Amino acid sequence: MSDDTEGGFVKTLKDWRVAVMLILVVFSLVSIYVIPPGISNGMTGNLQLGLDLEGGSWIQLSFQSEVVRFETDENPEVFAARIGDALDAEVFLFEEDRLEIRAPFTREELELVFVENGGSLVTYENGVSKDTADQIKLILENKVNNLGTKDARINTITGLNGVTQYIRLELAGVDITTAQEIVGAQGKFEIRIQTIGNESEHVLYGDSIKSVSTPTQSPPGSDVWGVGFSLTEGGADAFQDAANTYGATSNPDAHEIMMLLDDEIVYSASLNPQLAAELKTIPVRELRATTGAGEEGLEDAQKLEIHLRAGALPVDVEIAGSGTVSATLGEHFKVMSVIAGILALMAVAVTVYYWYREPAIVLPMIGTTIAEIIILLGIATYIQQLDLASIAGLIAVLGTGIDQLVVITDEVIHEGRVPSQNLYLKRFNRALGIIMVAACTTVIAMLPLAVMDLANLRGFAIITILGVLIGVIITRPAYGKVIMAILSKKPGDH
Amino acid sequence: MKFPTYDISKYTVRQLLALPIALLIVSFLFLGFNTFTTGMPVDPGIDFAGGVAVTIPPTADSQAVVEGYFAGYPLKSVGEGVNGGYYVVFEYMADEDFMSLSEVISEHYPDAKVDQIGETFGKTLQAQALWALLFSFIGMALVVFIVFRNFVPSIAVVLSAFSDIVITAALMDIVGITLTLGTTAALLMLIGYSVDSDILLTTRVLKRKGKFSEKMQGAFRTGFTMTSTTISAVFLMFVVSWIGQVDVIRDISAVLLLGLFVDLMNTWMLNAGILTGYAGGDKR
Repeated sequence: MSDDTEGGFVKTLKDWRVAVMLILVVFSLVSIYVIPPGISNGMTGNLQLGLDLEGGSWIQLSFQSEVVRFETDENPEVFAARIGDALDAEVFLFEEDRLEIRAPFTREELELVFVENGGSLVTYENGVSKDTADQIKLILENKVNNLGTKDARINTITGLNGVTQYIRLELAGVDITTAQEIVGAQGKFEIRIQTIGNESEHVLYGDSIKSVSTPTQSPPGSDVWGVGFSLTEGGADAFQDAANTYGATSNPDAHEIMMLLDDEIVYSASLNPQLAAELKTIPVRELRATTGAGEEGLEDAQKLEIHLRAGALPVDVEIAGSGTVSATLGEHFKVMSVIAGILALMAVAVTVYYWYREPAIVLPMIGTTIAEIIILLGIATYIQQLDLASIAGLIAVLGTGIDQLVVITDEVIHEGRVPSQNLYLKRFNRALGIIMVAACTTVIAMLPLAVMDLANLRGFAIITILGVLIGVIITRPAYGKVIMAILSKKPGDH
Repeated sequence: MKFPTYDISKYTVRQLLALPIALLIVSFLFLGFNTFTTGMPVDPGIDFAGGVAVTIPPTADSQAVVEGYFAGYPLKSVGEGVNGGYYVVFEYMADEDFMSLSEVISEHYPDAKVDQIGETFGKTLQAQALWALLFSFIGMALVVFIVFRNFVPSIAVVLSAFSDIVITAALMDIVGITLTLGTTAALLMLIGYSVDSDILLTTRVLKRKGKFSEKMQGAFRTGFTMTSTTISAVFLMFVVSWIGQVDVIRDISAVLLLGLFVDLMNTWMLNAGILTGYAGGDKR
């Protein structure tokens, strides 16, 4: 109608919907290739690639332990300690009424023991508490870092009830055997004793340490933290022997006890007078390393606990699943994905052209779809790694995107004629209505997958949801504007 | 434009509904029978059943040679790719056996892709996938009911989405695609595709003025353009991943492809039929 054909192009570019789309395309290209400079990575730029495109291995671990909720009339700590003795297993009371049991037991076995000790079992789940999971994650991260692996992701998979059932390691560029070694490998822990000046002598190795407790305050409530550990019989003898031979019992301050992990000192302190006196006569199996007061003391105690375990995990783990993709095959998958994407786009172009026979419609449609994919990839560089499943999601979302552009087009150009501005807006809004509902259902349908941690399906769901949102909010309104401007310029249509 | 003409008003409601309803019932019984005999509606892949899957890149070895290498292990199936590669599946095995299998694989096919899922982990995934499917479906149904606030048309949309999933799942089992995490995602994606065309149809037919048969015809043109375009994209994704032996994408696209054809039938026969019965056609 009153559409100003001259300068219509510029006007269209200035429309905020179109402008936002173009700005986002530029932003995305910059994110993928320029900041940080990603051209050197080739075609994929700064995109985060999953293992199946990059090559590498993953291992998912489950825990040989349970988390239970219990009831008792007693003091929970006293009760928990007794349960630990009865089961002959390490237990960890991480909430008033929740206990982590660090050995495999069935629900029936535990129920019996709880009842025998005057309590009852309320819930039972395989897994570990969040605290333990974080600790395991930290230990694994340390191990991975020590091996200098360039790209590693370690995620705990925790349910809504706060029980962590799995921990997943993804190690790029590492084969499965190496990955298994990383999980199983332990460091070399050693206790040495200071002799004269900087000299020291070997006392015992990590195999003489029978068990290690979580950080505790001693005396309770004093805010002075430390880690208790117990030695084997042989270890205790060696410890007593060394303390007496080198004079630590008579002059503790001159002969500090040092703990080393992989030949680096991680802790050093002198014997306390009481222990020194005791060691003069008998071997002591229960020892305690005090780290200090307050928050800092606690943190040091946590680190020391990990060191004492020498990289061994506090809970036995089992491999729940694992996988590996060679770098060569990853590269092949990458090439195939790109080919699939390009061919799918071309197929869409041909089909749309077949139906409409109108370049003025087909070009903006394909242009919009390309813009949509670029924006999706650009945003994905920040939040989601791309693996094969998410690439399938990307192509699937390309399908729905085109669907919706077809809805807009057919709605707007009724019987081959471009309507007046008012009618156009009315129809366009009607089309957007259909699209909104469709988008809403797709997002809802994908939401459970995005929230649950079903391995690589999360990527598929997140990419799909993201794609639908970008389409509805950004690219489809812009397309509506563009197609209007182009069609109203065509002579003889109104 | 050479458009297939499909004049829905030529057919009676009964004619429109017969085929989709019959297929839905047959598929439902088929899946029910499977569940009853094997515990799963569709043959589960290693993601859910536990086991080991190995993708071997193109090799000169014959199938017999490949099978020979793995003779001592619980081999479940060996599939040959068009590019000369293989896709080998093993039943669940103990950790020690898997370790030695890993060695055999890396000795003969160092570039293979290997995935191993434990039995318990598979069970966990199975339960979660089931929940995901249930939540998705309920969420979708809620949106549809809220939007239309009208019982019959909403039920028509929900029923045809349900039918899409059921018939596609049955077809999957027949053509030998296993239920994996990827194919579960594809089934969920079908909910999105299905609702897309159904909502277009329902909105056009119920919320517009005009002659019923013309509105139906118009909706069909748009709907068919939509679905055929999506089919062409998914079809190429399938061909490339099939030739290139990208099994994750191949399975997802195969399921989407089956589902899109099923959806054409369900939208333009089942859903259109119910709407014709509901809106009374052209008051002939």
